[in-house]
Amino acid sequence: MSTAAGAGPAAGNAGEDAGRHADGPDPAGPHAAGPQGRNTGELALTVLLLALGLYLVLDAANIAVPGSSNTLGPRFFPYLIGGVVIATALALGVRVLRGDRGPADESEDVDLTAGTDWRAVGVVAVAFLAHALLINVIGWPLAVTLMFAAVAWALGARGIVRPLLAGGITSIVVWIVFVKALNVALPGGTLLELATEWL
Amino acid sequence: MALSELAGGFADALTVTNLLFALIGVVLGTAVGVLPGIGPAMTVALLLPVTYSLEPTSAFIMFAGIYYGGMYGGSTTSILLNTPGESSSIMTALEGNKMAKSGRGAAALATAAIGSFVAGTIATLLLALVAPTVVDLAIGITPADYFALAVLAFVAVATVLGSSPLRGLASLGVGLYLGLVGTDVLTGQERFTLGIPQLSDGIDVVVVAVALFAVGEALYVASRLRRGPVQVMQASGRYLTRSDLRRSVGPWLRGTAFGFPLGALPAGGAEIPTFLSYATERKLTKHPEEFGKGAIEGVAGPEAANNAAAAGVLVPLLTLGLPTSATAAIILAAFQGYGIQPGPTLLTTESSLVWTLIASLLIGNLMLLVLNLPLAGVWVKLLRIPRPYLYAGILMFASLGSYAVNADPLDLVLLLVIGLLGFAMRRFGWPVAPAVIGLILGPVAETNLRRALAIGDGDLGVLVDTWFSRVLLVLALLALVVPIVLRAVRGRRATPEELQEGSGLRHREPAAATHEGRGEQ
Repeated sequence: MSTAAGAGPAAGNAGEDAGRHADGPDPAGPHAAGPQGRNTGELALTVLLLALGLYLVLDAANIAVPGSSNTLGPRFFPYLIGGVVIATALALGVRVLRGDRGPADESEDVDLTAGTDWRAVGVVAVAFLAHALLINVIGWPLAVTLMFAAVAWALGARGIVRPLLAGGITSIVVWIVFVKALNVALPGGTLLELATEWL
Repeated sequence: MALSELAGGFADALTVTNLLFALIGVVLGTAVGVLPGIGPAMTVALLLPVTYSLEPTSAFIMFAGIYYGGMYGGSTTSILLNTPGESSSIMTALEGNKMAKSGRGAAALATAAIGSFVAGTIATLLLALVAPTVVDLAIGITPADYFALAVLAFVAVATVLGSSPLRGLASLGVGLYLGLVGTDVLTGQERFTLGIPQLSDGIDVVVVAVALFAVGEALYVASRLRRGPVQVMQASGRYLTRSDLRRSVGPWLRGTAFGFPLGALPAGGAEIPTFLSYATERKLTKHPEEFGKGAIEGVAGPEAANNAAAAGVLVPLLTLGLPTSATAAIILAAFQGYGIQPGPTLLTTESSLVWTLIASLLIGNLMLLVLNLPLAGVWVKLLRIPRPYLYAGILMFASLGSYAVNADPLDLVLLLVIGLLGFAMRRFGWPVAPAVIGLILGPVAETNLRRALAIGDGDLGVLVDTWFSRVLLVLALLALVVPIVLRAVRGRRATPEELQEGSGLRHREPAAATHEGRGEQ
């Protein structure tokens, strides 16, 4: 069980930090936040946003402009958005560096005081990627069953049989309803497609 | 005139098949909306594939049911589950939760259900009355006006609704970028497709919405799952007593009065009206001592405001093609999926479809009232679903919905990548809704901007040629500047919890840091 607890509990106090800055004249933003290294995550996201803005502006120059009399070609809007994105990223970057922190989203099943379980996030992401690559090979029901079981397991479901069984039954029922009754295109896998041919 | 058209809509909607579609819609919508972690926008996005193979009329009848059902479901969750949920039902949860705790859960559910019905019915009728007038006004608007309208919607959604204006703008920028990917409509040039052929058709709105809402939420919950047994309150006690009813009527009507107009504005959404409604009821009540301990007015008002706002959001959507909430953006995507472009011409070209949709909203609303209270026990069971299976199931339906759009596994990889972005955005308090709205409204804004400038021979002055566009652009500028100024002058805003305690404007405490950027008191 290797959970990266570093970032999690601290983020619960995020608002508190920002609140203090709004209250007091203490300008010690970067120093106050720095040692704990708590907003490196958002800083990284902001740098990514800056990169997106630069990409928009630089790559817009490569868009071919047909030689028409059109006053405003396909490049203008990308430049405009790129500019706005760059400006936003810079302003947000300054704010984040000065210790401002976005309040983590609340949700019914989220415990903001808990540490971040990176392992669970990793398992969910990898399971989802694997199922995306497997769909056309083994069919949607089987691929999604494996994904379902892995995700349930990562989120703390007990045992192996029950998650697999729950995922298997649900996916087959869903597949039959959507493919046979609603005519949605979804590969069923050789076995299931043969077994349900009479439907 | 509106009434006879509405009667025609009823005639179309009141067939056995269509009633069945409406019923399936409300039941599915409520059931999915009740599930914790699933807000109205995610409900609509996840259930979109159900309507893929239906013809437009049936699909939109079902959609009407899903839309209102999702709203109903959300309020049940917030009353019976002792944890904060989606933003539009937070105000309902404040008092509703306390009521359920003190054994008056049934009364809380009843006032929410009847309040939703009253507000939904009045607001939907108002929608029917107002829509033709707005269309008449809108028929003369120029591309420059439309561009200004889109800009106002962008700025309002990004700065007014989110937790912080800059983070809202950041999210909007991501959405606008995603909207650029693909082939330029006017010149046929590919933009930002990275040489991937599938991207030349653009990124599907359904994929982005499902990714940001469902996949992002599942990843986020996985990172910080609330461990331990799920606490679900019982829907116990009597339904409404005579005094409960007397105390609820005023809040229902006032909530509707807040919800509909504010929902219909370009900065639509339910957060501000529910907030205002709660504050108002707190001020007007004859039982101030009950606020914070389970006052029925505090459930009735915000819940009515929430549902009235949901109907209000449909005004700009159906008359201008302007989505002002994430849910509306997904409904717009559904329209486009059938080759229907909402806009000023929608009411004339698709008249029967729109009026059937509005009639179905009224029918669905009535069905919800009849179904909801008897089914309260079922909803309680749904709330107890073990979380590992719930989120695994959400991902299953996310996969189904996105794969079914193009039958291309690449969409699922894209779903994961954008889902990871949604996870990061949640983690750092970047609101998700502006991205969805930027994605769908960005191309519309660009087309109109270029049309306007083509008409004006490239003169930028054409953008402020009419009074309408001038007013809108000034409003957009204000929406951008005012929050920053207010923040500098007055500090942070009161949180819902502080409002509940009646402490008025104060600096926020950490626990409720999400609610900055909400209605100003």
